[in-house]
Amino acid sequence: MARWTGKPLLRALVLLAACVTLLAACGSKPVTPPTVRTATIGGLGTILVNAQGYTLYMFVPDAQRGVTCTGACAGTWPPLKTAAGKTADAGPGVQAALLGADKSPDGSTVVTYNRWPLYTYAADINPGDVVGQGLDLNGGYWYVMRPDGTPVVPHGAPPFPTS
Amino acid sequence: MSRTGDEAPRVSRRGVLLGGSGLLVGAAATEGANLAIGGPGPSKQLTPGEDLMREHGVLKRILLTYRNVLERQAAGRPVPTAAVHDGATMIHDYIEGFHEGLEEAYVFPPLRQAGQLVTTVDTLLVQHARGRRLTARILDTTSAASLTAAANVQLASDLTAFVRMYEPHEAREDTVVFPALRELLSASRLRALADTFVAEAARQFGPDAFTDMVARVAAIEETLGIANLAEFTPTV
Repeated sequence: MARWTGKPLLRALVLLAACVTLLAACGSKPVTPPTVRTATIGGLGTILVNAQGYTLYMFVPDAQRGVTCTGACAGTWPPLKTAAGKTADAGPGVQAALLGADKSPDGSTVVTYNRWPLYTYAADINPGDVVGQGLDLNGGYWYVMRPDGTPVVPHGAPPFPTS
Repeated sequence: MSRTGDEAPRVSRRGVLLGGSGLLVGAAATEGANLAIGGPGPSKQLTPGEDLMREHGVLKRILLTYRNVLERQAAGRPVPTAAVHDGATMIHDYIEGFHEGLEEAYVFPPLRQAGQLVTTVDTLLVQHARGRRLTARILDTTSAASLTAAANVQLASDLTAFVRMYEPHEAREDTVVFPALRELLSASRLRALADTFVAEAARQFGPDAFTDMVARVAAIEETLGIANLAEFTPTV
């Protein structure tokens, strides 16, 4: 094995460059917190969306206690993730005090709003789509959320407790 | 990306052949060939594509029961609502809530990231969503023991639309999407994916998830009187 013979400062610089390269190769990069903002959707009013305008949903079985949608469910409903110990930035119309975060069973950190974990829907192909609204899938109902932290529950849908 | 370009992924013939055909796996295994995912010897582990394709087999059998119900409706016979409801429940729980979730979690994202089949994946996602809406309505309609004339018409329309959409849907996945995934991912990632699929199925439906589903759909076929495979053989 070759042995390093350079000066200490040069050695440190080379090691630093190697670390930076390694981190870049691993996909590590500064984590920018996601942003939750609002959009007005016909028939639903003003609801929460992510920074790209994709609709955010809450899942009734989460019961404001934690993330229950993991594995295949999280493929259909990708959670709005953030860095550990962080939440999302509040865009216009969003109450920053209602934003929080919850640790998912898979180890990731998911943004919450009024303690509801937030998810997008894989089949919402375009910003502004609300294809998942009112769907009963993966063990419960999925609803969009108002800026006041309440879900938009269609008339006739089964009631559930909220706080 | 153009539709034409979308339908022509860079998939080698070998990738297509290994993309998940149970028949090929079975035939090769008898010859002692190694079709394990990167393993040193023959393996009983399913490839991710093969796992998803056998779930498609369950879906195909439910579509067959839907076709049978449509034939009954066309002949003016009563609809066995409980049988339809059972099949739709299987689709809701196993296909839409699980199988499609696997695709949405582990199959479509890597293809998208690689810029492959982007338009096709969008279409498949939209079809998943439409299928879920149709199934919700089929479940609602068949929750009653008997159907009104209007419900009968609605059910026929929904079953027809569902079968019409899902036959090409799953065929496209089997012949284009899964082979493309096989070509795209490394052997180690495919192996990890196969393990994930098995673990997910066990977590949600128990260790015998697939065989349990096959037994359930077989019971529905029995109820409808279409369980005998030989009855589908034409007289020539």
